[in-house]
Amino acid sequence: MSKLMTIKDAVNLIKDGDILGIGGNVLHRAPMALVREIIRTQKKHLKIVKTAGAMDIDMLCLGECVDSVDAGFVSYESEFALANHYRKAVQNGIVKANEHACYTVISALRASSYGIPFMPVRGLVAGDLIEVNDYFTRINNPFGDEKVTVVKAITPDVAIIHAQEADEEGNVRILGPQFEDILLAKASKKVIASVERIVPGSKFAQPGENADIPYFLVSGIVHIPQGASPCSCHGCYDIDRNSIKAFKDLTDKSKLADYLFSYESKDRGHYNG
Amino acid sequence: MKAKTGGITMDKIRACDIMVCAMAREIKNHNTVFHGVSSHMPMIAILLAKALHAPQAVHLNIPGGVNPEMKELQKYTSAGSALMTKSKTYFPLAEVFDLSMRGGLDIAFLSGIQFDNRGNVNASVIGDYNKPKVRMPGGAGSAVLIPTAKRAIIWRTKHDRRTFVEKVDFVTTRGNVDKIITPLCIFKMYKGELILESIHPTSSIEEVAENTGFPIRYIEIKTTPLPTEEELRLLNIIDPQDYRNIEFA
Repeated sequence: MSKLMTIKDAVNLIKDGDILGIGGNVLHRAPMALVREIIRTQKKHLKIVKTAGAMDIDMLCLGECVDSVDAGFVSYESEFALANHYRKAVQNGIVKANEHACYTVISALRASSYGIPFMPVRGLVAGDLIEVNDYFTRINNPFGDEKVTVVKAITPDVAIIHAQEADEEGNVRILGPQFEDILLAKASKKVIASVERIVPGSKFAQPGENADIPYFLVSGIVHIPQGASPCSCHGCYDIDRNSIKAFKDLTDKSKLADYLFSYESKDRGHYNG
Repeated sequence: MKAKTGGITMDKIRACDIMVCAMAREIKNHNTVFHGVSSHMPMIAILLAKALHAPQAVHLNIPGGVNPEMKELQKYTSAGSALMTKSKTYFPLAEVFDLSMRGGLDIAFLSGIQFDNRGNVNASVIGDYNKPKVRMPGGAGSAVLIPTAKRAIIWRTKHDRRTFVEKVDFVTTRGNVDKIITPLCIFKMYKGELILESIHPTSSIEEVAENTGFPIRYIEIKTTPLPTEEELRLLNIIDPQDYRNIEFA
């Protein structure tokens, strides 16, 4: 059965209020075409999950699609600096920032992927994050005397990721850094992957060429070359500085439509029925 | 600061070079060392240490390339796929965290926004957590790495009374900070208190005290050694685009 679908059908799998896991890390292999389509279709009240996000989370916040963000870090790193739309939304009380350590996001996704309600996290032993967040608590070690910090499982309703290759059946291959994408796929109820290339499944059957995410975990594949742009995609392209700057310069939501429109034909161009 | 030492004019010595060399010297041969996002200075310090006195140090990073041999650094990121260049094994972020949890990470380089002299680190918010005046990027790995790495070394390119405060607004994590390296000096944790370890020759105890919101205490005042000619030569080879200065630019 082919899992190929249009970007519209793929994004229709996401419902208002869903927990949305996002693949990639900071400005690398973020599924920006899917993010843009989520904003175009005005999804609301999304609960975002990511270890370290940047433009993806910033744009979803400007697009007013977000209720909360569970992340260890939200910023563009040194050159492009702070995620100001996200910051503003949090400071204005529109978005709830649920701060994690990146590792506690990983642990929460591991719990989900293992089918258990929480995960012990070594290291998170001191500080205010445990006190102010209801997804951390301390329990007694049932086998010893000490306290153990635990993090509540996070099961995304949908994971969106961008990868280099998939076949029609839905097997997905990530080249270069995988970040937390494979764990995210296993922890989530549905997986949508946009990819640079559709390849024949026989390619993945060659020695050393196995795909990383098996088709039975994947709900939809969308063929979107440049689907991570203006973020980078290993082996395909680096960041598009001008586009990142243009977005960072947007002052309010009214200016976002034109920016999104400049990507619309590219984002929707393939398998558009 | 116009002080002179050994014929070198101090105002030509840049804080970024002093800091990167100080970070590099903390790395011993065979240490496992990690840096994360927004971390050009420690990334370059690790490359310098490996080129100089710690060739067997193990360079760990978010993309997961162990001991990458980068042809060139990227200006916008310290988490890009350049960090997988020529690496022989893949050991990504989740594995690095696990390593630290089981006691196998020697050094984690981290930063933050506010610090106090009890070793509390704030990378989260100014003001109330739920309705912050300023939402900061977040501590990334700090909250789990500072307590578990054998040595958590912090660098911060701002040294003023808003950064080194009497009491942090929010405790992202606490304890087990080993050193804090700033443009003016190096602090170290000693018996639960952040004390002065050394002052950079470009600064003075008066300047450090003026710009620090807690009392400066020390056992003895030392001077941070200047970058050597060999260190500066290698830095220019490793980082010809001068990204080590990116946080000051």
